[in-house]
Parts: sequence; structure tokens; C-alpha cells
Amino acid sequence: MNHLETFAQTYAQAPWRKQLQLIGLFSLVLVSIALVAGIYLNVSAKASAVGRDIQAMQRETEILDRDIEDLQSQLAIVLSYDDMEARAHKLGFEPVPAEQTVYLNIPGYTARPPVTLAPNIQRTLPSAPVLPAQYTESLFDWARRNMGSISFSLSEVRQ
Amino acid sequence: MSQKETTWRYSFVGALFAILPLLIVLQVFRIQVDPRQSEKIMIESQGWSSFKKTIQPARGLLYDRWGNLLAGNRTVYEVGVELQFVENPQTIAQTVATILDVDYADAYTRASLEPSDTAVYAVLADNVLQADIDKLSVLIEQMSDAYSGGKGDNLPSLRGLVYTPHLGRIYPEKTLASNILGFVSRENRGYFGVEERFNELLAGKTKTVLVPLDPNRVQEIPEVPAGASLVLTIDREIQREMEALVDSAVAESGSASGTIVVMRPQTGEVLALATMPRMDLNEFWRYGDIYPKDTPFNRAVSQAYEPGSVYKILTMASALDAGAVTPETVFVDTGQIEIGGTLIYNWNMGAWGPQDMTGCLQHSLNVCLAWVATQLGPNDFYRYMQAFGIGHLTGVDLAGEATGRLKAPGDNDWYAADLGTNAFGQGVAATPIQMATAASAIANGGVMMAPQIVRSVINSGYQHNIDQRVIGMPIKPETANTLSEILAVSLETESSDALIEGYRVSGKTGTAEIPTPFGYTSNATNASFVGWGPTDDPQFLVYVWLEKPQSSVWGSIVAAPVFRRVVEKLVVLLNIPPDAVRHRLTSSKGPQQ
Repeated sequence: MNHLETFAQTYAQAPWRKQLQLIGLFSLVLVSIALVAGIYLNVSAKASAVGRDIQAMQRETEILDRDIEDLQSQLAIVLSYDDMEARAHKLGFEPVPAEQTVYLNIPGYTARPPVTLAPNIQRTLPSAPVLPAQYTESLFDWARRNMGSISFSLSEVRQ
Repeated sequence: MSQKETTWRYSFVGALFAILPLLIVLQVFRIQVDPRQSEKIMIESQGWSSFKKTIQPARGLLYDRWGNLLAGNRTVYEVGVELQFVENPQTIAQTVATILDVDYADAYTRASLEPSDTAVYAVLADNVLQADIDKLSVLIEQMSDAYSGGKGDNLPSLRGLVYTPHLGRIYPEKTLASNILGFVSRENRGYFGVEERFNELLAGKTKTVLVPLDPNRVQEIPEVPAGASLVLTIDREIQREMEALVDSAVAESGSASGTIVVMRPQTGEVLALATMPRMDLNEFWRYGDIYPKDTPFNRAVSQAYEPGSVYKILTMASALDAGAVTPETVFVDTGQIEIGGTLIYNWNMGAWGPQDMTGCLQHSLNVCLAWVATQLGPNDFYRYMQAFGIGHLTGVDLAGEATGRLKAPGDNDWYAADLGTNAFGQGVAATPIQMATAASAIANGGVMMAPQIVRSVINSGYQHNIDQRVIGMPIKPETANTLSEILAVSLETESSDALIEGYRVSGKTGTAEIPTPFGYTSNATNASFVGWGPTDDPQFLVYVWLEKPQSSVWGSIVAAPVFRRVVEKLVVLLNIPPDAVRHRLTSSKGPQQ
């Protein structure tokens, strides 16, 4: 028993050393928490700022969409029949009476086709550009494709 | 201080600190367990953390066949009040009544609403234009500068007045093609015309999403595809010219109304459809004033009438096709014929003697055509009329199409005499679009095309061109060509006012008495003309209808000249060379291998 006490006393740390260790450990935990909290705050602040930017951009997109519609309509008003006719009159143009109209044949002239405002679905779909496989395939798909081509080349060489 | 006392104090403080979190935990537990509490808090928290946003896609646009915008969108504003911030409802009501022309009492009532959980916001006006909003915002700013910080209950204040932008409909051409387009109400619902017929397609699908206010929870607002846009077959220039011609024809003849339909017989494309009254679609709220009770929005598709002698071309086409008569068949007109116990007379009550079929059409002889119908027999006559689409919807891409009425043997109200009267367009009701479609079969070698208003649909970035549809082949090509020739000759022989220098056209006038509840007792008539040209290669078909003309009751006097004026415009706008030039150009090209 005495031996044990002696042994314990021999290797026991001084009380101030224990306190120091505790304080050190506590400080380490505190600093770690502060570090993590700091990083978290920084990241979340950045995320919030980006979030605000996104919200602002979403609003801007809405405004731009409305502006596009407005401009399109304003252009249509400027090009409307009444406005065009009024401008033509102002510039000195007059409607031609039927009896003064002469049909003039212009070689090579082809009548304008009705308007196409967007790609025609029937014509576009068959010739739609196909994305290269690199953009869509997974790594596993790529490996399998290359393995397949290698084995095909080998079989050709054997023949 | 004894150690015991100190220990007690420490224990008390410790217990207090322990109880507080315990109480918090208990409260949290209580809220979690009590569904009413948790639900209430959830709703409240959602109300503060996010808001409901209704995404209304931009309504699809309407274009004419050349891409001219006929219906677009523009920014308009909804003006309302946030009730909890309202300080002076009188000022708000007075302001919106003055600037936005809304009812003061109504605005005051709405602005005076007591804010509550269910009453948060009230709409005062919608579809307000930017110019008015500019005036409003200047006033809000001025009032805020002048009276902010002031004290007193009766200080003028526009606090709580807000405006929210959204898209509303605009029609850049105002009244042009208004009867075809229809209009869109404040609730974004289409009424009449294309707007109503394709309302769902044009409006797209509205989506409601919850948008978080917390920037950390910001989400991508889902893409709501815009409504599909439509390219119409209408030609803006032709439409405008036809509307001007309808207006002048109605004014000159003193008619109650007028209608002109212009179609391409080979495709069924409607190039113009002019009628009256018309309205500035940007002021759709005036609809009730412009179209009083029972006034159709578009007479060309919604008003069936007894077409009169223009109908004779269908009777003759049927008889020629069935072989009941030939162009050379001679009918001796004695001035009257009895069918089903009813005596039928000619328009001038005269007897025209021996007439071949060209003469019958040229002089528009009721007696002859009634006889032709008897030669055909009721079964074949009505079978042909149904094949021509009389009494059926044409399926034109417009809302509110009327079916018209064709009585047939077996119907309770059909009598044997009807065969005779129907033969010259009496006792049968058809819309102008039905008559034009039926006549297009004769102009187009016996093939009847569906009248088409929508040429293409633009959806998700692609244009889908709608195929033209054949809706019937009521007569053989040779019958159609023969009748076309007969009608051209009869116009030429008659030196009709419908003739156009340089172009050979086929056509037929029509004068129909208007039935009253007591029979054909009125002197008023419907004057019509249907014609197409050039006869050997028809590029257009025109149907003219003048309702109750006053200057003359006869179609040959009031409607035929309108047809000529229409064709004079059409040949220029459609680049159709005079027949002589066209034949020279065709022969110089030589036969195609």
C-alpha cells in the first residue's frame, strides 16, 4: 500500500500543472468552437449575401421580362397600320388608285413566304444537334465505351 | 456570513438557473404536443419567413401571317391598400378617384376596412397604366414630404397605398381585326374570337410557389413557360382594307351592318374577316356600349341568316353533280311553280320563257332553281346540302360559331314546299363563313377546305405549322369547273357591276327577304355576293353581306360593286397579275417536265 502511495506521489502532477492543463484544454475547445463559429458565420454571411443577390436578380429578371414585353408592344404600336399610314402621309405618299396600278413582272422575284418566328418543330427535330457523349456520360459509361472500342480494335487485329 | 447560509444562496441561484431551462423545455414540449399551438406557430412563422407568389406566365402573342403583332403584353399595375398602414382613407379614396377614375365611395369603403387576420390588403384598381402610376407616385412623394412628422388625426396621408406591376394585354392595332381577336378581361380570361377559343393555350399555366424571405433559404423560382403564341392566317393589310370597304359600303348603302369574308379557296386560309361593329380592344370595358343586347361580336361566324340567291350555286352544283341537269338543259319558265302546295314566283314575278342553266343563274330565277331541286329530289338535295356543310359548324378557329339551320325531310318543321324555297336560299339559315366555305368547294375543284384562322402555334421555342384540312368533297372537280364557268359567263353576259377589268371572276348575287314572325312581310332584305377569281386559277374567294340596305334592296346593285372594289384591292395586295399577263407568263415558261 505504501509502495503504491509512494508511486502515486512520485508520478502525481503538481496542482498548478493540472490547472494549467485544464485551462489549456478549455482554451483549445473554446478556440476551436470560436474558429468553427467564425468559419460558419463567414460562410453563412457569404451565403446570405449571395442569397440576397439571387433575390435581387430574380426581381431584375421579372422587371426585364416585363420590359421586353413592353418594348415589343411599343415597337408594334410604332409599326401599326395607323401609325405607318400617318407617317407615310406626312412624307408625301398617297395610296395608288386601282386604275393606276400596273403589274410589273420582275424576273427572279419570289413571293415572300408567311412568317416563321421560331424554328419549325417538324424540320428542327430530326436535325437537332446531338450533345457529344462527353457531356452526358458518366465515368463508368466512358470507361465501358473505351473498353468496348479497345476490345473491338483487338479483335480486328487478331483477324 | 456562515458557510451554511452561503451554500443555501448558491443552491437557490443554481436551482433558479436549472428551472428556467426546464420551463423552456416544458414550453417547447407543450407546443410540440398541442397540435393547435404548433399549427398556429407554424402558420405565423411561415407568414413571416416566406410569401406566396403566383407566377402568371406572359400571355401568348397574336401575330398576323407576316409577323405583325396584333395582341401583345405591357406592364400595368394593380393599385391597392395595405390596411394596417392606412392613416387617412379619405385622402386615398380622393386620390385614386381623381387620378384613376374609380368610384370614390367604393374606394373609401375598401380603404376603410378594419385590418384583421383575414383583411390585410384591398384592391382599389387594376390595369392601371404607367402614366397614371407616375402621377400617383409623385403625389405620394409630395404628400410624404409635406406631412411626414405632422401630428393630428386628419392630416392628409397616402400611407398604405401601394401598386404592384404585372402584365396586361395590349392591342397595338386597336380596332383592327377586333372581331377576330376578341379581348382579355382583367382576370386574364379571353372573351370572343381567338382569345376565347384558345384561352388555355394562350394563358399558359399559372403556378403558385412559396418564396422564402430568408436569403439562406433562397430557392430557384420555377420556370413557368409563357403561353403559346399564335400566327394567324389574317393579312393585316387586307384586313384593314376590307374593314374600310365594309364601313364605306354600309355608309353608302345605309345598311344596318356589313360583312366581308376573304378566303384562299385552295387552303381554306381566311385572309380577312371584316364586320361591324368593331371596338378598340384596349378599352374592352366598353363592350356593353358597343355591342348592345343580342348584337353578335362577329357576324361572320355568329349570325346565321337566310342567304337568298347566293345559295342557288349550291343547288345548281348539286344538280349538275348528280346529273339531274346539264348546263344545256332547258327549262321553260312560266313565272311560277307549285311545290308542296306552295306557289313559287321569280323575283320580278315575271315569266322568262326557255332558259338553259346559265340563263337560270344569270337571271337568278327562283322558279327554275326550285324546278332543278325537284329534278334532284329531296333526298339528294339535302344530302348535298349537308355535304356542303350547311347546318353544321365549319370548325373555324373562333369562339361563338353558329350552326345555322337546315331543315330536312323527317324534321317536324320540314314541309315538301321547303324543297322549293330552300333551292333559292329561303327557309334555310347559314352564316357567312358557312356560305364562303361551301362556295370554296366550287372554286377549289370540288374540294372543301376547313376555314383556317390559326396558321401556326409557337410553343416552347418551336413553331408548329397547322396543316390545312379537307373537310369534304361535295362535288366532282368537273362539276366545280363547269359551274365556275357558268357563273363567269353569267356575270359577263349580265355586265355585272362585279366585273373587274383584266380579271375573269365567277360569282353570284343574292337578295333575300328577311322573315318576320308573320312571314316575309318586311321590305327589308339581305344583299349578298359570293365570288372568286381568277376563274381558271382561283386565288381568292370573297363573300359580301350587307344587312338591310336602304339605297337599294338588290344584291346586284349594292353588294356586287363591293365585290369589285374588294377584288381591285386584293389583286394588288396578293400580287395577282391580270389574266393576260399571267397567261403570257405561263406560256413563256413552257410546259413543265
